[in-house]
Amino acid sequence: MSATPDQPAGDLAADVADAHVLVTTGAGGVGKTTTAAALGLAGARAGRRTLVLTIDPARRLAQAMDIEHLDDEPRRVDLDDVPEDAELWAMMLDMQTTFDRLIDRHATSPQRAAAIKANRIYRTLSSSLSGTQEYMAMERLHELHDSGEWDLLVVDTPPTRSALDFLDAPKRMTTFLEGRLLQLLLRPSVAAGKGLGRMVGAGASAFMRVAGRVTGMDLLQDLGEFFRNFEGMYAGFKERADQVLTLLQDPSSRFVVVASPEPPPLREARFFLERLEQEGLHAAGVVINRIRPEVPQDPSDASIARVVAGQPDDAEGEALAGALRLLGDVRNLAARQRRDVAAALYGVTVPARIDVPLLGLDVHDRAGLDAIATTLTTGKAP
Amino acid sequence: MSAPVTAPTGLAGVHDVLSANVVMVTGKGGVGKTTTAAALALAGVASGRRTMLVEVEGRQGFSRTFGTAAWDYEAREFRPGLWGTAIDPADAVYEYLDRFYGIRHVQWVMERSHALDFVTTAAPGLRDLLLLGKIYDLEVQRRSDGRRRYDLIVVDAPPTGRIVPFLRAPEGVTEIVRVGPIQRQAGSMWEMLQNPRRLRTVVVSLLEEMPVRETTEAVAALRETGVDVGPVIANQVVVPRLSDDAASLLRRLGRDGLLTRLTGAGARISGRTTDLLLELVEVHRDRVTMQTQLREELARTCGLPVLALPLMAGATFGAPDLEVLGDVLAMQVGEDGPHARERFDEEELAAVLGAALPAPDEEVAR
Repeated sequence: MSATPDQPAGDLAADVADAHVLVTTGAGGVGKTTTAAALGLAGARAGRRTLVLTIDPARRLAQAMDIEHLDDEPRRVDLDDVPEDAELWAMMLDMQTTFDRLIDRHATSPQRAAAIKANRIYRTLSSSLSGTQEYMAMERLHELHDSGEWDLLVVDTPPTRSALDFLDAPKRMTTFLEGRLLQLLLRPSVAAGKGLGRMVGAGASAFMRVAGRVTGMDLLQDLGEFFRNFEGMYAGFKERADQVLTLLQDPSSRFVVVASPEPPPLREARFFLERLEQEGLHAAGVVINRIRPEVPQDPSDASIARVVAGQPDDAEGEALAGALRLLGDVRNLAARQRRDVAAALYGVTVPARIDVPLLGLDVHDRAGLDAIATTLTTGKAP
Repeated sequence: MSAPVTAPTGLAGVHDVLSANVVMVTGKGGVGKTTTAAALALAGVASGRRTMLVEVEGRQGFSRTFGTAAWDYEAREFRPGLWGTAIDPADAVYEYLDRFYGIRHVQWVMERSHALDFVTTAAPGLRDLLLLGKIYDLEVQRRSDGRRRYDLIVVDAPPTGRIVPFLRAPEGVTEIVRVGPIQRQAGSMWEMLQNPRRLRTVVVSLLEEMPVRETTEAVAALRETGVDVGPVIANQVVVPRLSDDAASLLRRLGRDGLLTRLTGAGARISGRTTDLLLELVEVHRDRVTMQTQLREELARTCGLPVLALPLMAGATFGAPDLEVLGDVLAMQVGEDGPHARERFDEEELAAVLGAALPAPDEEVAR
């Protein structure tokens, strides 16, 4: 079931009904969180016990789901028209809590866990290392998966600089934490002696001198302490990262790539789809969010231009000319969006492309989410 | 063209967005931050300023926008009076090391060992500091006659979610970096950041409910950094094609009347498209009314003038559209805009420019 997505094709009904994990991803500001919420709603409607894990504190979305606020604990969303046993829950990722739990789980002793959590490097690392948020989202996902409580987990990924960041996050994190490089930097003598080791060791000493000059030695001392406390945890971390990757690579985990119909987010969507394929991950489809509805081709652009030019300079003439120009504008914009989508997705194969039409302005309420859920599962505007 | 449309007096000068040495353009993802930064730079060039456009996030947004080859660390003049550079922390570090220590050969070692990734990962503020350091460096460069090398530096800055830590990097530097040239320069950077003649931020928004709210929050957060904020630039403002009266007239004509008149005028239009057209008229009027309200709300809640860029409704969007956007901005800060005049008529320009005005007393209040 693949389509070359120059036209909308297919839907996400099967994914909502049988996937265990659905991950929404895409550039910032394209409507990932809304899509995740709509998928969650569709999951519950399909009779499944569903949890939506969001990263973004989208207040209005919480309101649309009638939840006062979201935090690290799942909260039940009131739904009256779902099958028995089906439920919709929602929660928001708390990165620090998740990371702390991870440390507690893997630290070789409670003292070491406490020392790590108090370290300056850990504090900046856990709040601002690019990819940490993504990694923690995946970590939390795995915890929720392990709990065995959920039929369907819908995960919204953070608005990163690049949607690709979160695929690299586990790898980056483990590389960083493994600290081989740091071991080398802090104790170059260990590595010295062998051919390549000597060369890198010498480079590392030079680097240490430079880093010391540029940043001051405190940073390096803190780093040293941090990594000493981390010793013995690398294996656990790495194992966990592998488990996360295995979960994501399972055919029951699928990615929903979201884009708005403008070139930059479309480019990101395309890169992401290609990347999924390389990594052996499964795309459910691409969602083009808030696309303008198509406009019929009559009258032609030439006809519009001619009639506009021929209108008399009175109230009615101006109104008719304005109306025709408006029609031309809307048709241009709708056509431009479709061309941009087709150009960006040229040659890409995905199981489904769903166009979610630009309805009102924002999704304010349940009805708005419902309409999107319907479009995602039927491939058609409601 | 008869009487020229110009930005009303009071806007130019006081809120002249082009008057600062460095303009940081931020905004939520998807609002058109890069396009707006490019338009601002073109307005700068049109006003005779030697203008530098800076990319900090390695997206190659500008090279696509302007149709040039990929940008890198080296500043190049890619059209008369307009330079471009894409800066990244690694290149900035190599430049520092070379300049302050005469260390040249360290680059290979650092790349080989991923040492820089490592340090900037352990101390994330360092990355922002290196980028800001490079921007500072561009700002202080002088020509042989002592004038600034670039009159205007426009930065496609990180989005609203990351802009505050970005601008705070020099303040936080003492926590991370306690010696060395970066530490010494941090103080000078901070001075640049706190001086409204040298640096200001502008926030790009859309006139929709969510972006307006987020822009208001971003402006409040930016003000706390002590960096000058303003004006807000509303992007993709729908150009009114119909007045209220014209819309009422069309409503009175109704489907059959409209179909008869359009067909009579020689437009081959179906009944179905006529129905759609009447719907579009309503959507358009609602949209225009709503964006006027949201623009006022934005000006009021931010306490800032709101400049506007029109939604370009052509069948394509390319470099000529950017020229028009640059001109529309130029007109709002008291310059002329020949490209904008070619594309829009007087009423349309007045609609975009006019509502951009802050009430005079609000200006004083600010």
